[in-house]
Amino acid sequence: MPAVLAAADFDLPTRSATGYLLRWIVPRLEPVHLLSVLDHRQAFVLFAPQSDIIIGTGHGDVDVFTGQNESIILEVGKYDPREIEGKVIKLLSCQCGVELVPDLVENGAACAMGYTDDYLWVMDADLASVPWADKEFAGKCLLPVVAGLNVLLDGKTAQEALDTELTQYDCYAELEEDELIKSCIEFNRGNAVLLGDGGASIRARPSLALPFKLIPPPPLVMPLRA
Amino acid sequence: MGSKDEWQRYQEALRSGDRKAAAEAFRRYQEAKRLEGKGHSRPTLVNLSTKAKAYPNAIPLDRVPEELEKNPEFFELMKRAMTKEK
Repeated sequence: MPAVLAAADFDLPTRSATGYLLRWIVPRLEPVHLLSVLDHRQAFVLFAPQSDIIIGTGHGDVDVFTGQNESIILEVGKYDPREIEGKVIKLLSCQCGVELVPDLVENGAACAMGYTDDYLWVMDADLASVPWADKEFAGKCLLPVVAGLNVLLDGKTAQEALDTELTQYDCYAELEEDELIKSCIEFNRGNAVLLGDGGASIRARPSLALPFKLIPPPPLVMPLRA
Repeated sequence: MGSKDEWQRYQEALRSGDRKAAAEAFRRYQEAKRLEGKGHSRPTLVNLSTKAKAYPNAIPLDRVPEELEKNPEFFELMKRAMTKEK
């Protein structure tokens, strides 16, 4: 079963979040990636039923998760349960943990993870074309997410993945001297939720191959929406 | 006055609900950071909410005070995030 990665990159926050997935997660996955302009509902409907894990990053609200240019990918009451049945789902988005994540679990997802309030971080807009290089700001919020996803891709349970993410937030918060960034880390940590079967896991993927550990992706050249 | 002290004043202003005072306190916090040599290239506060929200998804830090003053929804978000008060 392939993984479905739905990742928008049309503005600064989606470019930053997707950049971290491109750098550290994409090289571990099979090539079914709904990235950028491919991140829309029709493609999602086509590939999601075949997957064992759905990883999404994009804008969201309490009842909706969106893709490129905020086109709707998943909305409470408006998807076929076949798309999410038995799957482990991680949504890096705002507020989906309030209604959408519980709805996904009620409709048959093995488990779903999200956030109950806005996902906030500071990024360096000058690094928008190489967002993975933004370690000083964005990395402190996004690397814990990457760490949790890597635990899932190692074949461990969703609960272990969430615990890893939370522990990493704690580490970064403790070391952080900038109060604004520290507050963002703690806020995101406090809003992370896992619903459904915490013991759910997926097929383990190969670890990151050596070339990808050393060599980042080429710069992203698609223009950002103003 | 160091940036840590200015941050506490900012949190107090958020708790008091005074948008103008919060904006002014954030400006002073930014200035203190600059004086400490911790100014950065183009730091921007971002979030992944939809356009249904009344605040922007990306706000350069030097424009945060302005947004705090004029936008009650953004002020409430900052209050939740920075003071941990729901």
